[in-house]
Amino acid sequence: MASKKGWATGLLILSLLATTACGSNTAGTVNSGSNVADASAAEGSSAADGNEQVTIKFYSYNLAIASQKEGTQQLIDEFEAANPNITVEGIPVPSTEINAKVQADIAAGSPPDVAQLVFDGLDFAVNNFGAKALEDIVPADELAQNLEGFSANGLKLGQLNGKTYGLPFTFSTPVLFYNAKLFEDAGLDPGQPPATWDEVKQYALQIADKTDASGVHVGGSAGNDWIVQALIGSNGGKVLSDDRKTIEFGSEEAIGAVSMWQDLVTSGASDKLNDSEVIEAFSQGKVGMLLFTSALQSAFLAASEAGGWELKAAALPSFGEQPTTPVNSGSSLMILADDAAKQQAAWKFLQFVTSERGYTIITSKIGYLPLRPAIVEDPEYLKGWVEENPLIQVNLAQLERLTPWVSYPGANWFQIETTLLDAVQKAIQSDDDVSTIMKDAAARAQALIQ
Amino acid sequence: MGNPSGVRRGLASLTLKHAALIALSFLAVFPLYWMVVTSLKPEAEVFTSSLLPAHWTLDNYVSAWNSIPMGRMLLNSLGVAFAQTATQLFTAILAAYAFTRWEFRGSGLLYGLIGLTWLVPFQVIMIPNYIVISGLGWRDTLLGLIVPNIASAFAVMQLFNTFKSFPKTLIEAAHLDGASDWSVLWRTIFPNLRASIASIGILLFITAWNDYFWPLLVTTKLENSTMQKGLQMFISSEGSMWGTLMAATTLASLPVLVLYLVLQRQIIDSFVKGGLR
Repeated sequence: MASKKGWATGLLILSLLATTACGSNTAGTVNSGSNVADASAAEGSSAADGNEQVTIKFYSYNLAIASQKEGTQQLIDEFEAANPNITVEGIPVPSTEINAKVQADIAAGSPPDVAQLVFDGLDFAVNNFGAKALEDIVPADELAQNLEGFSANGLKLGQLNGKTYGLPFTFSTPVLFYNAKLFEDAGLDPGQPPATWDEVKQYALQIADKTDASGVHVGGSAGNDWIVQALIGSNGGKVLSDDRKTIEFGSEEAIGAVSMWQDLVTSGASDKLNDSEVIEAFSQGKVGMLLFTSALQSAFLAASEAGGWELKAAALPSFGEQPTTPVNSGSSLMILADDAAKQQAAWKFLQFVTSERGYTIITSKIGYLPLRPAIVEDPEYLKGWVEENPLIQVNLAQLERLTPWVSYPGANWFQIETTLLDAVQKAIQSDDDVSTIMKDAAARAQALIQ
Repeated sequence: MGNPSGVRRGLASLTLKHAALIALSFLAVFPLYWMVVTSLKPEAEVFTSSLLPAHWTLDNYVSAWNSIPMGRMLLNSLGVAFAQTATQLFTAILAAYAFTRWEFRGSGLLYGLIGLTWLVPFQVIMIPNYIVISGLGWRDTLLGLIVPNIASAFAVMQLFNTFKSFPKTLIEAAHLDGASDWSVLWRTIFPNLRASIASIGILLFITAWNDYFWPLLVTTKLENSTMQKGLQMFISSEGSMWGTLMAATTLASLPVLVLYLVLQRQIIDSFVKGGLR
């Protein structure tokens, strides 16, 4: 009985404490609210250009990843130091929830001013989140001047219907990581990584045969479809027609790409792990080759040093003689603000993060790619870093053939992406006829296009 | 004296039962053990399968503590979970008493409606709730986290079943003595059903403690959010920080572990009685 009494008393005391905590918290929010109000009062004039204070809300998923938070915060801090009249309120939102959060905030009447949105949602963001085209809010000559030195392919990533809605922020390309020690153990030359999928299969079977490790794993059959798009594109196919009206992943080229993948699995060249498991297995030195996001490089590098094996990287393998189409993953920054002063402040922020200095921080501190090719040769920016981190060269070379991640049109975009991924999984997890699976998925996806 | 073969049979069956229970306990305890051990391994050893770290380290704890405002988030989680549990119990006790005490027209329908709300997925009501919370200016506050959750259909239904089992004659006797409904509820029923109410409270606490999506939507600054949102920061599709995540999870488990040690009996009762979760 005594313990029950104690429980009730404890609960009461803690509830009171909680209520007190609420009180202090609310007070804190009122304060920050008044800052926002101050900032809003300052709008209307050319606040971002003058000395008036402007606050912009920035949703970022890199801020929601502990290992990338610091670099992203550094971008914000350096920008604020250079622009004392602009405050960037960085708000961490995980990438999987960021679209839902933006949508909820639009419904609640307070969308973010700048959002880091994943490229596959570009069409939806433009048509439903009111993303602003840079051509509409920035004078043409100023825009042209700022985009000088930008990788031409890179600029296309955030474009839709000829307008630029997002500037690429953090993104990667698919890279074939491989374990040099396993190559040697299997009698392969680590200096000669496979360049085609036929070679990948042959090497993988040799590794699986001669060592305890599995041969190869192709990542990207779950989550998002950018690697699937890269494979289909490299086999000469497309997932969506140029007029954005017809789903094309039921084509012979797409079927060919997925059949190659299925063959890797059924022949025993590939393991049967899922993508999370394979990241661990590769880190433990139990997988010969892994095609996945280049953003994993620093984690794999640390694991290889700890495990006593050498990490190497090669470009996305090709289908025979056909050129590859490395599709980017990742996100761009989009301006959602309706207010002119906030739009200008947001544009300044975008300018900074995609500047030479911005991409230097993004590449060296957060682990993604620079879209200003010249800075990797410039000692003021990334030259020293690239020399210390030679693995990134493979990635940089792929920027020349970088192909934008296609976003599907309409409100069902994510369902279309999921339909494709489900079909790929079904194909690689069975020996069913790939042609039937892909054509059926394409027909279902076509019905989802609005 | 019993028959020796019977004693042997009894002993064998007892041994078998214990062996089964030990195996099951191992299944339950091992993940926790693995969490703590991984949190004490340096990064290089995280993927090794050794049962103990070759080099013990507290680096993961330091990194977890420095990466997110953990103390503040733990306090928020505790505050939200306790406040939510207390308010849900309070509203559920009142509702359960009303349903037990009075048989009014439409009471069955009302109870059915409350039951139905339990079946509505959170995702359906999330946006309307969020718009209301935003309108009230409660975004990024603990009030915004707690207030939409001050009533729980699950708690009402569970408590209604408990209250139904309370002898009506006792309530009637109290009324004959001139006690008001308020007094009957808190002086007659509540003290007798405290164990059951506590059990339901524990289930409510665990649910509130584990909530992730609502805090994610309502709070923007990490300082104003709960622990579950902080833990997510160590998980990413581009490689999770396992050591740090396990350290943060171990720290986040401590308050609940302490609560469990204090209220062990009620928790076990609640799982047996509730038969849920």
